[in-house]
Amino acid sequence: MLSPERLAQPDYEYLAQRHVLTYMEDAVYQLLENREDISQYGIARFFTEYFNSVCQGTHILFREFSFIQATPHNRASFLRAFWRCFRTVGKNGDLLTMREYHCLLQLLCPDFPLELTQKAARIVLMDDAMDCLMSFSDFLFAFQIQFYYSEFLDSVAAIYQDLLLGKNPNTVIVPTSSSGLHRQRPALGEAGVPEGVEASLFYQCLENLCDRHKYSCPPLALVKEILSGVQRLTFYGFLGTLSKHPGINQALGALPDKGDLMQDPAMDEELERLLAQVPGLAPAVTATPEPGCPPSRTPPRVGSPWRPLHHPRKVDTESDGSTEETDESET
Amino acid sequence: MIPGKYRSVSGRSANNVNCGLHLVIQTSSLPEKNKVEFKFNRDSPSFPGRLLQHDLERNYSSRQGDGRVISPSPRNKSSCISSTTNLTELYGLEMKAATSSLSAFGDSSIQTPSKSRIRQGCHSAGPNISGDHINLVSSSMPSFPILQRSSEEKILYSDRLTLERQKLTVCPIIDGEEHLRLLNFQHNFITRIQNISNLQRLIFLDLYDNQIEEISGLSTLRSLRVLLLGKNRIKKISNLENLINLDVLDLHGNQRDVDNLPSLQRLFLSFNNISSFDSVSCLADSTSLSDITFDGNPIAQESWYKHTVLQNMTQLRQLDMKRVTEEERRMASVVAKKEEEKKRESQKQSLLKEKKRLTINNVARHWDLQQRVANNATNQDRKDSASPPQDPCQTEGSTTSPFPEDTGAVDSGITSALQGLSVIDTHLVEVDGDTLSLYGSGALESLDRNWSVQTAGMITTVSFTFIEFDEIVQVLPKLKIKFPNSLHLKFKETNLVMLQQFNALAQLRRMDQLTVDPQGNPVVNFTLWKYYVLFRLSHFSMQKINGTEVTQNDMIMAERLFGILAHVASSELPQYRLISILGDARKKQFRYLLETKGKKPGIVNEENNDSKRLVGENTNRATLNYTTREFYNEKLEDIKEKKKFCKMYIEDLMKEATEVNMKNEALQKLWPQMFIELVRDAVIEIRNKNSYMKLCLQQITDQK
Repeated sequence: MLSPERLAQPDYEYLAQRHVLTYMEDAVYQLLENREDISQYGIARFFTEYFNSVCQGTHILFREFSFIQATPHNRASFLRAFWRCFRTVGKNGDLLTMREYHCLLQLLCPDFPLELTQKAARIVLMDDAMDCLMSFSDFLFAFQIQFYYSEFLDSVAAIYQDLLLGKNPNTVIVPTSSSGLHRQRPALGEAGVPEGVEASLFYQCLENLCDRHKYSCPPLALVKEILSGVQRLTFYGFLGTLSKHPGINQALGALPDKGDLMQDPAMDEELERLLAQVPGLAPAVTATPEPGCPPSRTPPRVGSPWRPLHHPRKVDTESDGSTEETDESET
Repeated sequence: MIPGKYRSVSGRSANNVNCGLHLVIQTSSLPEKNKVEFKFNRDSPSFPGRLLQHDLERNYSSRQGDGRVISPSPRNKSSCISSTTNLTELYGLEMKAATSSLSAFGDSSIQTPSKSRIRQGCHSAGPNISGDHINLVSSSMPSFPILQRSSEEKILYSDRLTLERQKLTVCPIIDGEEHLRLLNFQHNFITRIQNISNLQRLIFLDLYDNQIEEISGLSTLRSLRVLLLGKNRIKKISNLENLINLDVLDLHGNQRDVDNLPSLQRLFLSFNNISSFDSVSCLADSTSLSDITFDGNPIAQESWYKHTVLQNMTQLRQLDMKRVTEEERRMASVVAKKEEEKKRESQKQSLLKEKKRLTINNVARHWDLQQRVANNATNQDRKDSASPPQDPCQTEGSTTSPFPEDTGAVDSGITSALQGLSVIDTHLVEVDGDTLSLYGSGALESLDRNWSVQTAGMITTVSFTFIEFDEIVQVLPKLKIKFPNSLHLKFKETNLVMLQQFNALAQLRRMDQLTVDPQGNPVVNFTLWKYYVLFRLSHFSMQKINGTEVTQNDMIMAERLFGILAHVASSELPQYRLISILGDARKKQFRYLLETKGKKPGIVNEENNDSKRLVGENTNRATLNYTTREFYNEKLEDIKEKKKFCKMYIEDLMKEATEVNMKNEALQKLWPQMFIELVRDAVIEIRNKNSYMKLCLQQITDQK
């Protein structure tokens, strides 16, 4: 007879690797949490809804961090949810501090760790003080890299440190590394040497890392593209380039391109509908119907631009600067 | 003061004066506060003479009215209005009144001064007129001029001599004028009373406005009845022992101690710039004092003036020329008692205030300590390099440094009295009008107290200081019940750090003002905090945030910034999550209530309904709620446990499923072969029909 292990193992592993188990566990947990309520509308219905929400990416809303970061899909969903919910903040042109962004993150995930936000801010701010203001898009793309590739970046950081210290992070690696090692050492001794590590050596290490890494890594081809363009680079320089790379963003698939970051017509329409309901709004709108009303009334408001509200805000000029930057990268 | 009044007063005074002494003490033109002190020493020898004094203010104004003093004195006050006739009459009347009571005097001697005054009033046109008739001749003694008068003069004014404004620095030697009864040295520069000891008939001696420093050289003037020493530099009343006939001693405008006057009955302190009762309170020790005036002094304007004087000087019969009635005295004592109570009350108040201050300081210190401990803990937890060096320093600078300074300023007595108390108190609850102020987390327990409906209803503002916001969140349901009218919440030093914390406030019944002090609430530094508050608490339609009126634009902005969040949170949240979150919110409130006062199911139920109602109000954003750290961590623990269970369950399930699957697969793999084998066996069995039939028959028969 065939050994049952040999048959079972791949199945189980496959499911685990595809995180099906995670979702099944979570579904059962949700069921367990609200069994009275759920049993009222049917368990089959619940499971349908659950897996639908997983597909739509709405399952991570207001969930605990451990769940949000549990799968790449969850991470991407969270990134997308964050973008969708707070795109308006970016659109308004507000520049915020790391802590304020962290607060926004916490609105979606109450126990979101500060550490991650700090790391993301570090990518944007590099050597600047941590309480500097950041534009929404800068933060979002840096945060995307940091959050989605969190484990990968940790490993990269370790490799980078090793390289800086002249150690060979991957002892298994090919002889070429030793030459790099030699070049690295004297560089460290001098005062005015260029910062960072040599790009090609770094790439080799990363290549090796990606092979072994069980967490998600950015597409190696893109990493190679980034690293081939420069001689030397620093860790944060690398992360910064990584975060700004449109290809990486596309590969990740959670966010639109930088140029389209502020576009979300469906949501804008929804927002206009909501705005029409703001209590005590100008006489024309006082007759606004109940919240559940169809968006048929919105057309006159849809046209209302963001601009008028911009003026009183202090950050306006700065925000314009940041959008300019966005435009440049767009073209 | 109107003359009529004065007249009646002086008339009355005659009765009281019997063996009394009148003192007029007036420091009129001194710009600085009156420094006069009065000491009454009963042990010291009494005056043999009876001094009768009259109010010089009036005396002078009368004189002015006479025309004797032409140059208007700078210190003249309202009394100028008095008319000549009235005043002369007045003067005479007083003198008469006084004399009638003083048996020692003969009638003639009394009449003289008053008569002379009147006559002088008629004859002399001005003070300097006398200079025309009087020659001052340098005497053989180098320092003293000798005075000589023409014989006509002598005959005309045999009993009087006026030496006003002669720029005299010493008293001249007055020879051959032994019958003089009136001598006037007004407005000179005399420093010492000399050379008049021979004028033994002198009744009236006017030394007003000189520079005399000591009362001396008068011991022989036994007839002297009126001695005017106003506006001099006399510091002490002395050497009057022999002036047994002295009625009037005017010492106003001197800087002196009034000493040793055990039989002082009347004291006129009008217009002395006395501004506090303390400066004259020593007068209360005098048992003899029966008539006193303070009018024209700042103290007389005070509301407490009359009753304070009467209360302290129970022996008084007249105050400011008015008889003190029993009623007034009673009133005074009542008022004084009230005053006393008020004082005690205010003392209590200030003690309370002081205690409050100390308690707050103490609470602040505790808070500070707690914060630093928490800070250290978090710093150890995660080694973040950016924030730790800032925060502790900031708190240290702001809260600890003012603390010792403050205590230094406190009255040591109160401090010592309070020290014991304040050290224990780590919280403070204060109701001030419509404001309930809570300091320190312990103060939150006060919400469990049975507040009177009235007090609770009056509270519209609740202020939290030095309390963790998370702790406040837990009492919010209670707050809602206990203080249904609270509309304004204030937070200071409450560790508001996250926007989501504002979610917790949404559960309140209503609120139209929110004040979040930047001190100890870093969230206020965020650009978005105000909009988030407006957005999340939009169902309150707030009027003011941090004292700034909420405008329409703010509302729209809030909606613009966070409307999508609300939309996503409500419409995109899968049903099961919605149930779970709203259920959680309900459960949480339920739990806060249960934890705090377990045994009141009625209220809990009501609360529960209430929260359901509220949830209905803004389903849009009800999913945005806040769970305190503590509860959240508990929840996470809970989740962990359940997840663990789920994991095990799923694992088992999965194992079973994969096993079933594996068996199934194995079966699927074997089945075709098996089927063939089975068919083959069957075919082989029935190939020989006869033998098979036999076999079957055999089986049937065997069965039977």
